Amino acid sequence: MTEYFNHIHNGIPITDVEIIDLHAHLGSTRIMHIPANDVISMVKSMDLCGINKTVVSPIAGIDSDIVLGNNMMLESIRAHRGRIYGACFVNGHHPELSLDELQRCFSEDKDVKMIKIHPISTFCNMKDKRMRNIYEFASDRKLVVLVHTWLDNDQYGNQDIFAELAKDYPKITWIMGHSGGPYGSRHAVELARENENIILDTTLSTAPARQIEFFVSEIGSERIIFGTDNPYLDPRPQIGRIGLADISHQDRVNIFSANAHRMINF
Amino acid sequence: MHKLNYFDCNCSVGRVAYPYLHDIPDVEGLLKEMETAGIDEALVYHTVARDGHPPIGNSMLMDEIRNHRELYPVWVVLPHHTGEMSHPDKLLPEMKKNDVKAVRIYPKANYHSFSISEWCSGELLGALEEECIPLILDLETLSWEDVNTILENHKKLPVIAATCTYRNNRYIYPLLEKHKNLFIELSRFMGGGAVEDLVKRFGSHHIIFGSNMPQYTGTAAVALLTYSDIDQKAKKAIAGGNLSNLLNGAWK
Repeated sequence: MTEYFNHIHNGIPITDVEIIDLHAHLGSTRIMHIPANDVISMVKSMDLCGINKTVVSPIAGIDSDIVLGNNMMLESIRAHRGRIYGACFVNGHHPELSLDELQRCFSEDKDVKMIKIHPISTFCNMKDKRMRNIYEFASDRKLVVLVHTWLDNDQYGNQDIFAELAKDYPKITWIMGHSGGPYGSRHAVELARENENIILDTTLSTAPARQIEFFVSEIGSERIIFGTDNPYLDPRPQIGRIGLADISHQDRVNIFSANAHRMINF
Repeated sequence: MHKLNYFDCNCSVGRVAYPYLHDIPDVEGLLKEMETAGIDEALVYHTVARDGHPPIGNSMLMDEIRNHRELYPVWVVLPHHTGEMSHPDKLLPEMKKNDVKAVRIYPKANYHSFSISEWCSGELLGALEEECIPLILDLETLSWEDVNTILENHKKLPVIAATCTYRNNRYIYPLLEKHKNLFIELSRFMGGGAVEDLVKRFGSHHIIFGSNMPQYTGTAAVALLTYSDIDQKAKKAIAGGNLSNLLNGAWK
């Protein structure tokens, strides 16, 4: 039984440790109905479980229009300053526009903190040469880049492709989104061991039993960040995964926010 | 506030050929997962009944959970025509004798390869309907069209849609509008605000707690429910009350 067992079982928000969600989105989508997809609903669900800060990259940018998505991101930051932060979404099929968006978003608001890439949704391979300027931008500024990754059936951004880029751009901190999916845990820790700039992400709907414990025992809790996929996924179950995992309090603090603070100046 | 009593409708014992991460094949492993998450009781099927052959797996299940009062048996069943499983006239008394609480079917070609249409499964599903035995369907192994067909043909059969995902609302909502005997299990039903929205539209009695342990962790489903913005009565019903009510309605 963990120190947060009673909190979680009684629906009491965790407040004695800061919780930062580095993997979230915003808005509606063609592929599914999301009841609580607006930023007000997202902040409400954050409040219900104790998430202090969330970094969003709106679904609109992933599904269709990166400018629309990034505008939604900037608006949500302004509407909920200190709670919502931004990840600028880029797409290698629009290399010049992506670079413009990076310049615009990072200069327009100090709370844009990361870059988000979703290779399989944009059908743009991470190794596509049109991505190079985006990586140079991130590398020059030593930014954090969150990439949706899955197993080797993802020909655009699987874990091995992701790791190749991590090797090529060592100044970037690379978050392996979803840590390669439910079957990807073992390969994720192998790649994280080989590349110090790879960070594992806890975000998953099909969350394997003992995955958090496995990550911590294999690579240490300093290389794992907390993510939720909010609002694709409700953020509250992800609190349960970390809060009830058989790991130490310090491990939980690292995952919930200490690692995020080491990577990003909030 | 008191901790909710969790009665999980979606657990298994047994080895799996391709585990997500750890293979947790035995009852002790499942009980450890339940303890970590704070889950009290569970309906349990055997993975060999799903991935191997149902009669073998059902038999293994009865042996393995025999001494565990918090675990209740769920059999995986087949239509009787090939003789692999008894005719419902014999199967159901056998189930009752073994205190089987619910059943699961895996009709798709890469599982048990049979039709859910009446010419094949009608007698089996009809017999289950007659006794109000809950039928648990794994949405990773059959379609929403199949679910609708079963619900249309057997309007008094309690059907629990397990492992339906956060992407399924556009199927679930019209089915819940039509069918009072459909129940939604929580283990992957985790879209933003999904629980609150379902309760608001259809009431809490259509939601059944489930975790898919030990393939998944049970900790996520617990926090989904405890942190949901619904009243305590609804949480209690979802955590275990609704499933208990369904089971109490069986075998009468």
